[in-house]
Amino acid sequence: MSALGRFSQAHLDTMVKTDIRGKIRWGIAGIFALLFVSVIFVSPSSFNRGIDWVNDTIKLGLPRVPEKEFQLGLDLQGGAHLVYEADTTALTQEEKGSAVEGVRDVIERRVNGMGVSEPQVQTTKVSDAYRLVVELPGVTDVEQAIAMIGGTPILEFKEENTEPPRELTAEEQKQMDEYNADAKKRAQDILKRIKNGENIEAVAREVSEDQASKNNGGYMNYVGSNSAYTELYEWAVSASEGTTSQTLVESVQGYNILKRGAERDGGKEVQASHILICYLGAQGCNNPIYNKDEARAKAQELYNTANAENFEMLAKENSTDPSVSENGGDLGWFGTGVMIPAFETAVFQAEKGQIIGPVETDFGFHIIYKRDERTTKEYELWRILIQTQSESDIVPPQDTWKNTALSGKQLDRSEVVSDPQTGSVQVALNFDDEGKDLFADITSRNVGKQVAIFLDGNVISAPVVQTAIMDGRAVITGSFNVKEAQLLSQRLNAGALPVPISLVSQQTIGATLGSKSLTQSLYAGVVGVLLIMVFMLLYYRLPGLLSVISLSLYIALTLAVFKLIGVTLTLAGIAGFIMSIGMAVDANVLIFERLKEELKEGKSLKAGVEEGFVRAWTSIRDSNISTLISCVLLIWLGTSFVKGFAVTLSVGVLMSMFTAITITRVMLRFVVPWFHHHGNRLFLGGRKPRMEDLK
Amino acid sequence: MINFIGNRKISYVASGLLFAVAVFGLIAYGLKPSMDFTGGSVLEVSFTEERPAVPEVRSAVESALGNAVVQTSGDVSMIVKTRFLSEEEHQQLLDILRTNYEQGEQKVLEQRFETIGPSVSAQLKQRSMKAVVVVCIAIIIFIAYSFRKVSKPIASWKYGIIAVIALIHDVTITAGVFAFLGRFMNVEVDIPFVVALLTILGYSVNDTIVVFDRVRENLIRRNAEHFDETINFAVNETMARSINTTLTTLFPLATLFFFGGETIKYFSLALWIGIFLGAYSSIFVASPLLVTWNKFASRR
Repeated sequence: MSALGRFSQAHLDTMVKTDIRGKIRWGIAGIFALLFVSVIFVSPSSFNRGIDWVNDTIKLGLPRVPEKEFQLGLDLQGGAHLVYEADTTALTQEEKGSAVEGVRDVIERRVNGMGVSEPQVQTTKVSDAYRLVVELPGVTDVEQAIAMIGGTPILEFKEENTEPPRELTAEEQKQMDEYNADAKKRAQDILKRIKNGENIEAVAREVSEDQASKNNGGYMNYVGSNSAYTELYEWAVSASEGTTSQTLVESVQGYNILKRGAERDGGKEVQASHILICYLGAQGCNNPIYNKDEARAKAQELYNTANAENFEMLAKENSTDPSVSENGGDLGWFGTGVMIPAFETAVFQAEKGQIIGPVETDFGFHIIYKRDERTTKEYELWRILIQTQSESDIVPPQDTWKNTALSGKQLDRSEVVSDPQTGSVQVALNFDDEGKDLFADITSRNVGKQVAIFLDGNVISAPVVQTAIMDGRAVITGSFNVKEAQLLSQRLNAGALPVPISLVSQQTIGATLGSKSLTQSLYAGVVGVLLIMVFMLLYYRLPGLLSVISLSLYIALTLAVFKLIGVTLTLAGIAGFIMSIGMAVDANVLIFERLKEELKEGKSLKAGVEEGFVRAWTSIRDSNISTLISCVLLIWLGTSFVKGFAVTLSVGVLMSMFTAITITRVMLRFVVPWFHHHGNRLFLGGRKPRMEDLK
Repeated sequence: MINFIGNRKISYVASGLLFAVAVFGLIAYGLKPSMDFTGGSVLEVSFTEERPAVPEVRSAVESALGNAVVQTSGDVSMIVKTRFLSEEEHQQLLDILRTNYEQGEQKVLEQRFETIGPSVSAQLKQRSMKAVVVVCIAIIIFIAYSFRKVSKPIASWKYGIIAVIALIHDVTITAGVFAFLGRFMNVEVDIPFVVALLTILGYSVNDTIVVFDRVRENLIRRNAEHFDETINFAVNETMARSINTTLTTLFPLATLFFFGGETIKYFSLALWIGIFLGAYSSIFVASPLLVTWNKFASRR
């Protein structure tokens, strides 16, 4: 019975032992599996290279692991960190919060249009001030980014100002008449002096009211036909060289006394007619009948049939130029600088009497009949000017454009549309209900007139309204490329900021500096870790080796966690992580030192290991807690540097508690049975207990 | 066994001197605040061909934007520190550098630009102060909690007070080093420095806690008659641990200081000094103080 009992007890012991050994073996397997998985997760690209190699060599078709990159902070990948302060002084307490959220939304929309990967916009409240933190990783043109975030595009719609200018009051009229009468009298007096033989140059210096020529003795250089001095030119044509005007020459500016000098050949002028075939998408094409290819073909066909006799008829039948009904396509005489360049070049190069075409311009395809050509003359002129007043000098000139109630506020959505055939880029505007009504009103009262679209105070487009537009849609055609159009559309969509903001802090890191910092910190980290490992191996030998394995697992696992929970790695964060590696060893050191003591006291290796872990635990826990306390409070302190450091350090500390306790313990338990009861020199220089130690 | 407790006068004198010098530095020179706390701008540019002379750049910048500090950085870069700049002024500054120095192949590349307005820096200053106070209070509460159970022969609050004294010692000397660095090497105290100080507060108290833990354990196991010996024994027992864990943390911090780049150079240094002092004070200051206090109390 007793023998049986002893047997079963021993049997039971072995069974339990095998059971525990088995568990430990599983634990070891688990550790390496964990290490393997974490390494793959941390560096999927190198693993995939391996997979690719295997697939290439033995055609296994193994799947690749998905690659996910570490999130790098702005200081490591370059980018901009902008802090804005919202000016909420004009708002009540309740409005402030929502206004700032509104600002955030607008900025977010503006930022999203910049093509920056993963931009972030956050609001923070600092005592009474509302701040917006904008992070733009990898942004290269910070200046433009800042301009886009801060700038408020103002979209306005204006119509032609048809209000008649104010009439002069009787008194103003009287004053003006008196002034002009006096001017005429003075001019006549001067004319007399010139007639009496006085030098016109000397008199001009003395009395001329033309500031530009006065100091040159009235000399105006050569005056051509298409200058602003039409009346003077007309006089010059009829006068001969060296003569002075015998009567006063009246111009818009006032009374002139003139002297003509030499004549010379000026620019060329041509007289031409044209037929325009416009197409969908061409500038100013109001009733497109053709697409671009069709328009070209039509123009070619017309060119083939056109001759000097039928040109006017063809123009009247086919030309899409709105003025054709009045002039039969005849553009009259014109000099250089009047027509658009493509047209001008073509018509000036053509022979007199030639019909050319089709000439492509922004307006469509033209067939041009060059009727005549002449060279104009230019004349040297001297003048004395006595100014007169006109109504516009007294009544301020009218603004060309008049405001309407329609603005960017009523804009519902804007998008870039481009004509697939012409490739011309347009920005389409869709108004909300209020805007739709306003736009309908504006277009119906302005048929045949221009309506101008102003952006930030500048006209960007002023199309002529053909018919009233009732569906609240409009397009802006201007000379912009796709990128500019997209930018405009995005800016219009983003709308205006509810409250003004000002940039209070900026941090911009160039990509080169970022990658340099990354390399430097990683290098420092690798060297630091190697130093730790060498130290642990030399000092603690076999347990040291175990702690090196445990440390490797710690590093891989912590990096995997960073990736998993999306910790943004900054320079400070890497510093925190590197420091946490040093601290992760702390738990091992505590345990090994305990183990050493337990062994010294004569405990068996196995008992020593278990005792060491139990006793060291309180110290490990307490020392990590105080670090965690600091970290949590640091995160609250809140700048990005601090957060980066504190987050990685606290994640590191938490992970180290796990790896040091669990991993190292499993491994120690695994290797302990390999050794003599009391360990050997591999084990912390352990030795058999001497008698005096046991006392 | 090293007789730390018996030779405590030597460590008191050493620590006392260090502390006094640090306090002198802090009072006489103070810490040199960086733009994190005063507001201002720093621009780092690199020159692709030849870096111009510092005084030349300085006068060019100062003529347009007022007082500026210009320093070289690395081999090809230059750092320009000025007051807070708006975005227009930032572009103006870049313009000045480009028009003056972009000749031939030479390009002036902007590496880094940071600007901090007065409202932000004021807030950072205020927050930092608050954080220091809150961390201190939290650590004191934690220490009190750690030592709540022991009472003989020393009341638990005494452990706490001594741990705090050791902390003040560590942090003051670290700050003192930076007062001297600021005075003689223009090292500025910035947010990372505050972070380092707070981390030191959390980390160095560890060493003290571990030693006191052992003291506590030994006091319970052995009798308290030979108080000095018990404590000296505890210090010796934990010394290897203190030194080793400190070393393993100091290694990577040293590599960060030497290879980690300008931004975290002095941050690593502050941590290094603080952690070193943490280990030092747990052995040479905190434990001897326990004995001194006990002696003083029992004499009365």
